[in-house]
Amino acid sequence: VSTAELATETKPSSPSSSPRRVERGFYTRAVIIAVALLLVIIALPQILSLYYIDAMTQVAVYSVVALGLGVLVGRVGLISLGQAAVLAIGAWVAARLLFATSLPYEVVLLLSGIITMALGTLVGLPALRMRGLYLALITLMLAGAITVVLASLNFPNGGHGFSGYNGALLHIPPIRRPGIATTDPAYFRYSVIAAVIMFLIVLIHVRTKPGRAWAAIRQSEPAALAAGINTTLYKLWAFALASFVTGVAGGVYAGAVRYLYSIDFQTQDSITLLAVVLMGGAYSIWGAIVAGLFLQLLPAILNDVGVSPDWLVILFGIGVLQVLTTAPTGIVDQLPRDIARLVRFISGASRRSAANQGSAP
Amino acid sequence: MIHLALSLPSWQDEQPFLVTGLALGGVYALSGVGMIVLFRTTGVLNLSFGAVGAFGALISWQLITKSHMNQWLAYLVCVLFGGVITLAYGMVFGRSLSGRDPLVKTTATLGLTLILLGVMDLLWTSNGGASRSISLPTDNHGFTVGQIQVTTTDVIALAVGIVITVITTAFLRYSKLGTAMRAMANDREITATLGVPVRRVEASAWFGCGIVAGMSGILLADLVALDATTLTFLVISSLAAALIARLSSIWGTFIAAIVIGVVDAGVTPIASLTNYRDMTPFVLAAAALLFLNRRRVLSLARQEF
Repeated sequence: VSTAELATETKPSSPSSSPRRVERGFYTRAVIIAVALLLVIIALPQILSLYYIDAMTQVAVYSVVALGLGVLVGRVGLISLGQAAVLAIGAWVAARLLFATSLPYEVVLLLSGIITMALGTLVGLPALRMRGLYLALITLMLAGAITVVLASLNFPNGGHGFSGYNGALLHIPPIRRPGIATTDPAYFRYSVIAAVIMFLIVLIHVRTKPGRAWAAIRQSEPAALAAGINTTLYKLWAFALASFVTGVAGGVYAGAVRYLYSIDFQTQDSITLLAVVLMGGAYSIWGAIVAGLFLQLLPAILNDVGVSPDWLVILFGIGVLQVLTTAPTGIVDQLPRDIARLVRFISGASRRSAANQGSAP
Repeated sequence: MIHLALSLPSWQDEQPFLVTGLALGGVYALSGVGMIVLFRTTGVLNLSFGAVGAFGALISWQLITKSHMNQWLAYLVCVLFGGVITLAYGMVFGRSLSGRDPLVKTTATLGLTLILLGVMDLLWTSNGGASRSISLPTDNHGFTVGQIQVTTTDVIALAVGIVITVITTAFLRYSKLGTAMRAMANDREITATLGVPVRRVEASAWFGCGIVAGMSGILLADLVALDATTLTFLVISSLAAALIARLSSIWGTFIAAIVIGVVDAGVTPIASLTNYRDMTPFVLAAAALLFLNRRRVLSLARQEF
């Protein structure tokens, strides 16, 4: 038995690691989240116009993509510049399966998640030898390569053969949706439920053994190794998990847009995605939702009021610089603190002015 | 579909693409060397390199077509713009991020990239058919080797790549500033202790990198296309060359850049591969990185560069 294995077996017993213990306020928080979710699923499609329902479906999709990237960046400290390409793979696989088979939509989602996971892990396996800058750059290279392949392979449009693409097709059939969610509001609900399941899967990972291993690796890889953590396994696990959720998101995306074009997946998107995830807060689950809102709801709103979405790209650029220089934990962490500071400032100022008035004759 | 049976083009067909490839390779070498010098000195891999060049080239285009400025003066403005904006970024963010991991510094340059991309799209909206272009006066001059037309621009592109590689090597080797840069690549703290004005050395590296970005912006706008996104992401090709050289060797970058340029252009006449030719830098860099890293299992404490 190697020393590393011994170290894994003799776990330190601390009071907080007993399995039955639940954080204080956990149930209240869970109830609040459940109620909020029910409101989103039931009430939101009633209030919003079709335009915003579609935008919110995209928010659900991209929250999951951001969540996957957040696992890599925030949990393990691996920066990937190719997640938009992974999303494209997921969408491609799902579209191919939806055209080729009559499998239930849920099965297709699961399969596209698993196939994307296999591909992502395959990429991750050799990339694990690299870290930091080199890993970020190789993922950028791979994203570029995948963009080129997709541009010439095209997305399936109901044709035959491996690629499922037929350029001569006159009436391109739309990608089918699940039978229970053919309309846009229904599909929005469907995508939110899919997103919630993905969030739960990631949450379970973060809260249990893999999450602790990732935290150790993020702090210091040599120290993690010395503590008996199989760093290769857990890094690969993170890659697999991120690719899986992104693959499922790709499947949901395919059904949401119904027609896929390779021009919709650009290398730039991967960079914007990283920018937004860093802005939202890579260390928090909530940051992923903020990132999704930034990435899909804000452009929809700007488009609605007639402002060029280019402003948003500029904003994301400034946001990245701001996050990296002053607020590494992102908006999710920064905003409440800023608000608290603001409240303190205002209350302090009003108290001071009240005191001044009191002292004035 | 990829047909595995390749029908190789004749040498006759290859020749013009070889010229294009060498010219492109020269510009990739130019940018690659510019990025490496900055990286060695400051630890920042400037991913905004392409966006800076694109912005400069668009400014030149604006000055030439709308303000009817002298062409060479407009190109000078582009080169200076590159130098100034990169220096400004370096002074503000290079400084505040100087103690951080190279990965963080590099990610931050993506912020500048996004800002520049957004501004470019705002100012120079891509309105359908009306495509912009820059054509250097040297495009019309040239000579023929055998039956191939070689323009002076092609020659300049390759020459600039070679010249910058030679000059940079000599500069780093013999000049005082170059020696200081090499010292900083080894250890910033110790270099500062020895009395080297590290801030000033860093500033000159940023400025030099920006100048090179402006130059390659003009050349690539002429050789490839004057399009914000295309030029911004062409940086990946020179990045690939720099990566193959492990972000350290100047001559390694030069050779890798030429190979990337030639292979990229060389597969154009091969029907089954022509659609995939843009993958060349990615495939070569990924293969080289995987090969170079095959023995590494774990990196300890200090970053590997």
